Amino acid sequence: MTQKTIAKRETGELRDRRPLYARLPACLYMLLCVLVALFPILWVIMSSFKTNAQILSSAISLPTGISFEGYRMALEVSPILRYFFNSVVIALISTFLNVFIVSMAAYVFARTRFRGKGLLFSVLAMSMVIPMTALMQPVYQVITSLGLSDSLPGLILVYMALNMPLTLLIMRATFAGVPQSLEEAAYIDGASFLYTYLRVMLPVAKGGLASAAVLAFLNAWNEFTFALVLTRSAAVRTLPLSLSYFTSQFSFNYTALFAAITMAVLPSILVFALFQEQVSQSLVIGAVKG
Amino acid sequence: MRRRNAGWIALFLLPTVALFLVIYALPLVITLFTSLYDYRLFPNRMDFVGLQNYINLFTKDSQFHRALANNLIWIVIHTTVHIALGAILALILYKKPRGWKAVRVIYMIPSIISNAAVAMIFANIYNPSYGVLNSFLRGVGLPALQRNWLYDPATSFISVTLIWTLFSGYNTTLILSQALSLDDGVLEAAKVDGANRLQQDFFIVLPLVKPMIATTMIMAATYMLQMFDLIYLTTRGGPGVSTTNLPLMLYKTAMTENNYGYANTIGVVIILLGVFFMTLINRLLKTRED
Repeated sequence: MTQKTIAKRETGELRDRRPLYARLPACLYMLLCVLVALFPILWVIMSSFKTNAQILSSAISLPTGISFEGYRMALEVSPILRYFFNSVVIALISTFLNVFIVSMAAYVFARTRFRGKGLLFSVLAMSMVIPMTALMQPVYQVITSLGLSDSLPGLILVYMALNMPLTLLIMRATFAGVPQSLEEAAYIDGASFLYTYLRVMLPVAKGGLASAAVLAFLNAWNEFTFALVLTRSAAVRTLPLSLSYFTSQFSFNYTALFAAITMAVLPSILVFALFQEQVSQSLVIGAVKG
Repeated sequence: MRRRNAGWIALFLLPTVALFLVIYALPLVITLFTSLYDYRLFPNRMDFVGLQNYINLFTKDSQFHRALANNLIWIVIHTTVHIALGAILALILYKKPRGWKAVRVIYMIPSIISNAAVAMIFANIYNPSYGVLNSFLRGVGLPALQRNWLYDPATSFISVTLIWTLFSGYNTTLILSQALSLDDGVLEAAKVDGANRLQQDFFIVLPLVKPMIATTMIMAATYMLQMFDLIYLTTRGGPGVSTTNLPLMLYKTAMTENNYGYANTIGVVIILLGVFFMTLINRLLKTRED
């Protein structure tokens, strides 16, 4: 215990050695931020273990026992696992395809010369300043005329595009940072363009690929607006969209409603807790490059 | 580069360019073009009206005035109060007080889970019968303050605003990453010069993280310009038009009224506002090196 504390102090570099009263405002602010962030979620999780009557009589009382009845009812009323699966499929496929195709373009922009490159990049970069929400209606029109409305491929296509600007910027910067000599060595060895890209450039661009993929996945996983606009049937409903039906589906069964919300948010929180270093780093890279 | 690579270059660019053309360029052209038309489904028509949609929007449509005003107010709050809340925490955490890593991770949680889930959680918190807010007010002996927070015209705007203003973990993460990368020597020098904590934070650290603050402000502005899900899932823009904004009005005009030309005129306004805010913030904080 003492050893652990000492180690922590050494690595943590506790620079603030002022008396407690001077540090108090900062401590309070930190505490407040933690409460603001945790309270809503904890309240929902707590309520999912209470009965309807308990929820109605007092919102802030603790549950009297741990009952998973709410979860059973929630899964019975709403096919949450199905929506979860849809979200996983859409987010994974759109992320993979986005990173796959946009990296190729980013490599060409970072490492080759051809006529009109600057112009083409500026045109593609327009996608960064166009808020896609503003294009809601024509995107719906285009997806419908492609025969992809109310389908998983339709959403995948839109999510690929939604993440295009960010992936393009991250990957272009990543490839631009790879030493020129690596590529030249490959060419001298007689490697083809494709081989150089796949076997020399992509492996050293892993960090950028991971960051782009994390961001693309998060965006697709959480997206709501286009899921609402482009789909109708329950068969292709995503998890975020399914949440909008919870209130009516669970009309007066609050226990099940809270259980359903809990099931919808817990996976994200668990995954974030596991990969928070990677996620935070990706967000920083995305903000700096984008 | 090498002539024989021309084919590869084209092949590498093709998928991304195609994606751009279908999901960005074509919808953008449709948006700009149809904003000059009286284009709707019922009755099905497409008549050229010149700038009439824009004239109607700005001179006759009180719903648009309200949506635009709300949108602008929200952008101002989001680029100031919201960013400040996150920046203050970053200025506390960069000194690495005990538990700083945990606080950073916990404060990020609401930013990681989907907006749809956040909206559902707050719809329940604000619920007049079993919501925790009213329950709390009853508990502390202030039952007179109880309200239907989201549907009472007096409180709907502020209630919706709070849903996104308090959760600034994303900004904390970004600003903190830059503050942590600062050279310790700068702070040591400041200490020698006799600057106290507050002076250090405000006159030395804050100016050094200004580029990242500018980035977060631009992201906050574009985010709020496109805000849809958190409003749609809580108040649908109501009661009346008290919490409506441009994306919500666009959605309603396009998807329920099928008045496409008019909806896309709102889309053009959103795009122009996006460009405007990006330029404005960049000018004001002229610090982005790139």
